[in-house]
Amino acid sequence: MNNWIVNNFWIKIVSLVLAIITWFYVNEELIKEKKMAKQLYKSSVLSHIQNPSYDKKPVK
Amino acid sequence: MDNYLSLLKMVIEIGLLWFVYYGILLFARGTRGVYVLRGIILITLIFIITKQLGFNRINWIFTKIFALSILAFLIIFQQEIRRGLANIGQRRWSRFFLKEAEIISEITTACFLLSKKKTGALIAIERETRLENYIESGIEIDAKVNSELLITIFTPNTPLHDGGIVITGERVAASGCLFPLTQNPKVSTTLGTRHRAALGLSEETDAIVVVVSEETGGVSVAIGGRLTHDLDRESLERVLSNLYRPDKKNRK
Repeated sequence: MNNWIVNNFWIKIVSLVLAIITWFYVNEELIKEKKMAKQLYKSSVLSHIQNPSYDKKPVK
Repeated sequence: MDNYLSLLKMVIEIGLLWFVYYGILLFARGTRGVYVLRGIILITLIFIITKQLGFNRINWIFTKIFALSILAFLIIFQQEIRRGLANIGQRRWSRFFLKEAEIISEITTACFLLSKKKTGALIAIERETRLENYIESGIEIDAKVNSELLITIFTPNTPLHDGGIVITGERVAASGCLFPLTQNPKVSTTLGTRHRAALGLSEETDAIVVVVSEETGGVSVAIGGRLTHDLDRESLERVLSNLYRPDKKNRK
């Protein structure tokens, strides 16, 4: 067990640091995307409420 | 409960990312790709830092460099990448089924027969660190390890006897390989080039390097920059079986 930890110790540490950085970076990007999607949804709902005839089919 | 679940997911995801990064770094360690990989990691880190700090122009420049360096990496190292992908399916998993005792026995037999004849030999056994760089410096063989082959390779005045051989898994990957000489000033000046090369390789990688002296016929093993001289057959077998699979050390 001890040997498994000590063997290539620095490569393991560097990989761990890179993995943590990548995870937090991607996580932040995903949160941003979700926020943006929510905002888009809200603005489309708002415009629909303010102008309900906007997407009504034209009366023949 | 939800918090614990998301924490567990985070740990698993980071673990998976760690596994991928560790595999890539280990694979690149023994190849020319390590320098390019270092550059890419550095650019990526600068890219992330500049983005976090809001340096938009610098970030734009690094985005372009990053995209170009990925493309350059794929073009320059397409051979290594192809080999690495092929290895995922073959090499690593096949290690579980290696007949280690048989390989160790073949190496030991060859070493002591060469020792009797006072024929010099230099054998590097790959462990976790890839020895691609050194394999590329020699002549590819890709044959199953057996004592007769090893003795034939090191027979003097034959085209392959100069340099060292690299054993990867259960195959002799290449012969006539050039290993780096140790730069350690503490190493005895009486040591020959073969022993210096063994020490040099063991300093730079985690390989086990077995040397047979041409002058004395003594068998030595270099690992982690340390040379153990004049081993007998049992000691060499014990050392190889202990070092070849490090986990065995702690088993009782």
